[in-house]
Amino acid sequence: MAQIELCNITKKYKKNTALDDISITIKDNEFFVLFGPAGAGKTTLLKIIAGAEFPQEGLVKIDGKIVNHMESKDRNISMVFENYALYPNLTVYDNIASPMRSRLYRKDENDIKTAVNKVTELMKINHLLERKPSQLSNGQRQRVALGRCLVRNPSVFLMDEPLAHLDAKLRHMMRGELKEMQTSINSTTIYVTHDYTEAMSLADRIAVLNKGKIVQLGTAQEMYFTPRNEFVACLFGEPEINIIEAQIYHESEKVYCKAFNQDVFLYPGTDVGKILTGEERSRVDMGIRGTDIEIAFERPGDDWLEGCVYANEPIGNKVIMTLTAAGNKIAITCPNDTKADLDATVYFKINMDKVLFFDSETKEFITRSDMKKYKKGEETDT
Amino acid sequence: MAQLILNQVYKKYDGKKKKLFKKQEKNNFAVNGISYTCNDGEFIGILGPSGCGKSTTLRMIAGLEKITAGEIYIGDMLINDLEPKDRNIGLAFEDYALYPPLTVRENLAFNMRAKKKAQNEIDEAIAYVAPLMKIDDLLEMKPSALSGGQKQRVNIARAIVRRPGLLLLDEPLSHLDGKMRQQLRQEIRRMHHEIHCTAIIVTHDQMEAMSLADRIIIMKDGMIQQIGTPLEVYDDPVNEFVAGFIGEPPMNLLHAKIVNKNGGFVFTFAGSELEVQVPKKYGKIVCGGMEVILGVRPTDVMITKKSAAGTQVRIAVYENLGDERRIAVRVGASLVSITTVDDVFYSVGDKVQLAFHEERTHLFDPATGNRIRG
Repeated sequence: MAQIELCNITKKYKKNTALDDISITIKDNEFFVLFGPAGAGKTTLLKIIAGAEFPQEGLVKIDGKIVNHMESKDRNISMVFENYALYPNLTVYDNIASPMRSRLYRKDENDIKTAVNKVTELMKINHLLERKPSQLSNGQRQRVALGRCLVRNPSVFLMDEPLAHLDAKLRHMMRGELKEMQTSINSTTIYVTHDYTEAMSLADRIAVLNKGKIVQLGTAQEMYFTPRNEFVACLFGEPEINIIEAQIYHESEKVYCKAFNQDVFLYPGTDVGKILTGEERSRVDMGIRGTDIEIAFERPGDDWLEGCVYANEPIGNKVIMTLTAAGNKIAITCPNDTKADLDATVYFKINMDKVLFFDSETKEFITRSDMKKYKKGEETDT
Repeated sequence: MAQLILNQVYKKYDGKKKKLFKKQEKNNFAVNGISYTCNDGEFIGILGPSGCGKSTTLRMIAGLEKITAGEIYIGDMLINDLEPKDRNIGLAFEDYALYPPLTVRENLAFNMRAKKKAQNEIDEAIAYVAPLMKIDDLLEMKPSALSGGQKQRVNIARAIVRRPGLLLLDEPLSHLDGKMRQQLRQEIRRMHHEIHCTAIIVTHDQMEAMSLADRIIIMKDGMIQQIGTPLEVYDDPVNEFVAGFIGEPPMNLLHAKIVNKNGGFVFTFAGSELEVQVPKKYGKIVCGGMEVILGVRPTDVMITKKSAAGTQVRIAVYENLGDERRIAVRVGASLVSITTVDDVFYSVGDKVQLAFHEERTHLFDPATGNRIRG
């Protein structure tokens, strides 16, 4: 149980700025995810909270108390690293028990046994208790590291990509277990990942980091439905969102867009149209998710666009079809029995109610239809 | 252009190596009698977990490993004892192994130079493959200046520049990050569409095999489990292993006991009061007391909130991933996962009713893992 405040954190490695004036307040009991591409500064920020790195500027507060100069061990934090950091000379049991045997947090051996058994069962490593880390696979080591982190009941959990080295099946399962556990543990958790499904699934709130700066701070739904800019939009969703430049035209009162050099009118809806006209734009970037495009092999009507099949990839429960149209590639999510020959001509229709509109110059988010529904509870970041 | 035939091929590592591979000591064979035919122009994916013998198989086809027993044919020629260089095979591995002092162009030309091909022939071949792999702009660069994705493009281009009858790819995408991997996957597929050689890709990534291959061979412990198109192995798995290996998120595989109830049969689960009607198609082959593994994909599980008769289960996990919702419920000790595109919301702890899509429910024998068909 702890509230963590980061105030104007700046961290430089020689000339490189790893973190640039970061301020976040992480609420008590919150599951907070730091998300972003490699090199964004996620791990550095985590280490600063842990006390393994020190910022040049700014304050770290835990429950209102400045901890900049407090040693890691006194912060009552439990951390799991991406590279496991297990004691090679200790068995799995002793590795997991180690935090409860430290001078500061010593527990009775019987309590330790109960706690270790509970956590190893959860991690499905209870058959490995007598082994040394060298006798484990990477996935098993990772689970031991995670187990060691979870065995204690600290005020803050810090997790750095704890599922990164597991295979897809195990990762899916462990994510479910972690998510379920989350409701029963009374700790603030800060979790670093570059996997958007992990971020969306686990987080109460997400901070998207890029190049040492916070790009957006909010819930998973805000990231997905009202991303602050094209960068954030592209990070969430698989296949990646399609960003297509469109021209804006006016016809009496109505506003419509044209894209792909095709003579098909795309109507963005009245409220979006008003905003686009109000700002006197001549072009706009449309962000369209693969699930919001329909596909047909015969042209069903005049409002359908034409494209050419570039790739057709069945991935089990769906087919990802990639089309080319006027030099753009468009990825579409189709039902799993869809079949198309490469280079065949097909038709597609965009669900304009789901399109995200971005400024073509700044790449910043402008609006989407039904904006009111999504704006509710939106948080502005610092 | 060639057909590739493997007939009862075995591989056994002998001597000191055996001690390293504990698993092999049990059945002794890294590759245990596999037979299959790749048709001319077909793209085959060999898929399996690490240690299943997929790379060994590929290396035997390439001639880099000796064949312990069995025959490999390309067309109607037996190639067991043919030198790798005489097999007319193009090879691309996970690591790129480009010659660092040579430019991309020289790397591509290297093998053709060695075979004393005429310069204009070499130029022509390079001019043909460079746009296919999108490396036209890189030809005068050295490998050190290239990104991982670009190096792998060059590596694959080098494998196809001689227009081999057979193209072998060993995990070519596993070093690359997600986005690059997806892009290159599409380009490999298009390249194959263009030159139409017989091709084999070895991978442990089911997504890669599904999206690239015409047919997939799924291997485990040196043996073939199933051969089929991507849709066949997904919809109609022959055993529990294939069912669990293909698909993301994976298929739910639940231990169930069949019990007589009201003149029909129901599945029951240890530690849970849940009962699920056994689909009619299994009516004739099941009996009370029989134990089975019930397989059902997350997309084929339905949940409803209505509180009519029937046992309810507890929502354990609710994840909203934007375009789909992933939900898990507790049934005994296992989590049953559910994927839906419907815009539903549940809180952890909610009680719901569970139903399985009858037509798409699979049964497996718990002892052998084999599919039990209705």
